[in-house]
Amino acid sequence: MSSWSRRSFLGAAALVAVQSAMPGGAAVLGKLDPKEAPSPRRRKLMRAVADHVIPATDTPGAGAVGTGDFVLVALAHGLQGTRRPPKSDPSFAPFLRTDGSLDHAAWLEAKFGPKWLALPTSCRHDALAALDAAAFKGDASAAPWRAIKGLILTGYYTSEIGGSKELNYELVPGRFDPKVPVGPETRAYSSDWTAVDFG
Amino acid sequence: MDETQNLNSNHFDAIVVGSGITGGWAAKELTEAGLKVLLLERGRKIEHQVDYETEVKAPWDMPFRGEGDADLYAREYAVQSLNRHFTEFTQGHFVNDAENPYQTGADKQFNWFRSYQLGGRSLTWGRQSYRWSDYDFGANKRDGHGTDWPIRYADLAPWYDKVENFIGVSGAAEGLPQLPDGKFQPPFALNVVEQAVRERIMAQWPERRLTIGRTANLTAEKDGRGLCQSRSICARGCSYGAYFSTQSSTLPAAQATGNLTLITDAAVEHVDYDPATRRVTGVRWIDSKTKARKSATARMIFLNAGAFNSVHLLLNSASEAMPQGLAGSSGVLGTHIMDHANTLSAAAIMPGFEAWTSFGNRPTGVIIPRYRNMEAMDGTGHTRGFSFQGGALQSTWTAGKREAGIGADYKAGLRKPGPWRMVLVAFADCVPRASNRLTLDRAKVDANGIPQLRIDFAFGAEETAALAQAKADAAEMLGKAGGHVFMGFDRPGPGGTAIHEMGGARMGNDPATSVLNKWSQSHDVANLFVTDGAQMASSACQNPSLTYMALTARAAAHAVSLLKSSAL
Repeated sequence: MSSWSRRSFLGAAALVAVQSAMPGGAAVLGKLDPKEAPSPRRRKLMRAVADHVIPATDTPGAGAVGTGDFVLVALAHGLQGTRRPPKSDPSFAPFLRTDGSLDHAAWLEAKFGPKWLALPTSCRHDALAALDAAAFKGDASAAPWRAIKGLILTGYYTSEIGGSKELNYELVPGRFDPKVPVGPETRAYSSDWTAVDFG
Repeated sequence: MDETQNLNSNHFDAIVVGSGITGGWAAKELTEAGLKVLLLERGRKIEHQVDYETEVKAPWDMPFRGEGDADLYAREYAVQSLNRHFTEFTQGHFVNDAENPYQTGADKQFNWFRSYQLGGRSLTWGRQSYRWSDYDFGANKRDGHGTDWPIRYADLAPWYDKVENFIGVSGAAEGLPQLPDGKFQPPFALNVVEQAVRERIMAQWPERRLTIGRTANLTAEKDGRGLCQSRSICARGCSYGAYFSTQSSTLPAAQATGNLTLITDAAVEHVDYDPATRRVTGVRWIDSKTKARKSATARMIFLNAGAFNSVHLLLNSASEAMPQGLAGSSGVLGTHIMDHANTLSAAAIMPGFEAWTSFGNRPTGVIIPRYRNMEAMDGTGHTRGFSFQGGALQSTWTAGKREAGIGADYKAGLRKPGPWRMVLVAFADCVPRASNRLTLDRAKVDANGIPQLRIDFAFGAEETAALAQAKADAAEMLGKAGGHVFMGFDRPGPGGTAIHEMGGARMGNDPATSVLNKWSQSHDVANLFVTDGAQMASSACQNPSLTYMALTARAAAHAVSLLKSSAL
């Protein structure tokens, strides 16, 4: 047994980073059950929706880092409870799978209709903002949006850009400082696992 | 892995079943005393530093970004995935529930969290390391639940010293009789909110002491092990060796003696007993890879398979001479199992600290040790104690999932550390009850044809009352400390939630009412020792692993003395 130093540890981490450059969502998209494989249009829609939630600012937005594909994979695999039967709402009926779960992506696509992608950016934004507001005011027919939005956040802030450029990421802090002043440039750490789990 | 292939004999001085927290300790102590020891582990080999496959990975390196495949988890990890330490990074350190079934009584959910691998749950444990006090060892005698412990704190204190000095426990001495101080490495610091809450609680209630969690993470280097790096990803495995695990600590010590034979992928199915000599003679196991049946013999046997699995093995080792299970003549084998009643008592927003944050991931929270039912019986509807664990933390991007908003402003709002909040999670003493028990379900067998374990467990009025008082107390304390409580519960999670399942082969003075004597030694079978959580006669309200380790070291020393004096 050898004693590891911080330097040797970070060397190993760098090796892993080189070995796994593919974003998680795209890497497993091709392995989806054919019934869940998204159409090109649906992929485009989810990418655009993700970009409206987390747009490009001084860091890239959610669409550019593959969040749309991640969300589609996550929905197919039921992350964050999305393969459990939803609370009943008549409007969900056309989008229920045989196992009783809601096809969130199909629901969202129908919610926006075929023309949403062709709308001006401001109109798309307004439509999405209205859906978001309804969902967080308790409108049951808009509730599935909350899960989709949650997965967009997961997809973005667990991407390398979202996790280490928009936020800070420190695999090996090396120490615990209990009291650090907050300044204008202070950013949260995506590697603050306690905050991620319980915040 | 089968190191016996290179040996001329499969007879040993001792066989240790299980390589987790206590099995590692048994192997270390017995080999260091010069005994030839066979250590059997049912799971796969995980080599320190080599096999911690996800340790250096980032979320973006993982197929499901660290959250894991919920579809897979629903099918194969339905129980394990409920564990807070279970993630896509750590799933390889937990059992597959579908492949390792057990039964529970109707309407008696029990979440049995398990880790079948070299090191067992020492790889995934929470590392909280607390001494028990005479409030705990005297609890059964005081209120009449269960049977009296045959030992008191003074019996165990030197063994606590020994264990703490070896594993490394960081903590702050507080001089509290209900949570005795130990041989501590320097403590991790309280963060700015916790420090303020500590002071405000002490100002109101001097007997209530918020202190940093005592954790088996190194704050000073020791024996070739490195410092804790404040990553708080321990359950992935730690190549620094900075937290106590079998791999980092006890296994290398045992291997260094040259007296250890280790076999992994060896699921022990039976302990053999000779009624003529009234001694156990050896064990039989199934090679998990080849399904071949194998066996070995020894002068004595230590069971360290984990509380419920050790009892399972004893029950499955019933014979004509011992029809109620090996070491089961008292009739209490399998009974009086316990787990701490556990729930989130209070969560509060803590305003006034917005100018501060912290850096690094401290690998421990805080604890408020028991303060009820000590000198005065001031519990409402219960006779024992509860303690709180928890801490102050800031929210982060995941809080955005609960908030309306989209766009650049929304993104900007998630960039900074969020508001401080503080949580207090109660661990309430669980009264030992005969009705909470383990049995074999002979109608259902596992893949090896062994009857499955059936767990019948329910909390009762004592635990419910304790958690009700804990909820009220937690809200009052956080309120006085300036917090705004927004959530709290008084109902326990399902049994197993605290991951402190224990009992089933309790220690006691009377062979008619207990399975083990004060040396963790079977009353019925002198060369059989059970030194994991199965031996516990009460639960206390603080984490038990340090006590298991101390009891194991103590039992090993006694066993060696018996062996060397030819008493076994």
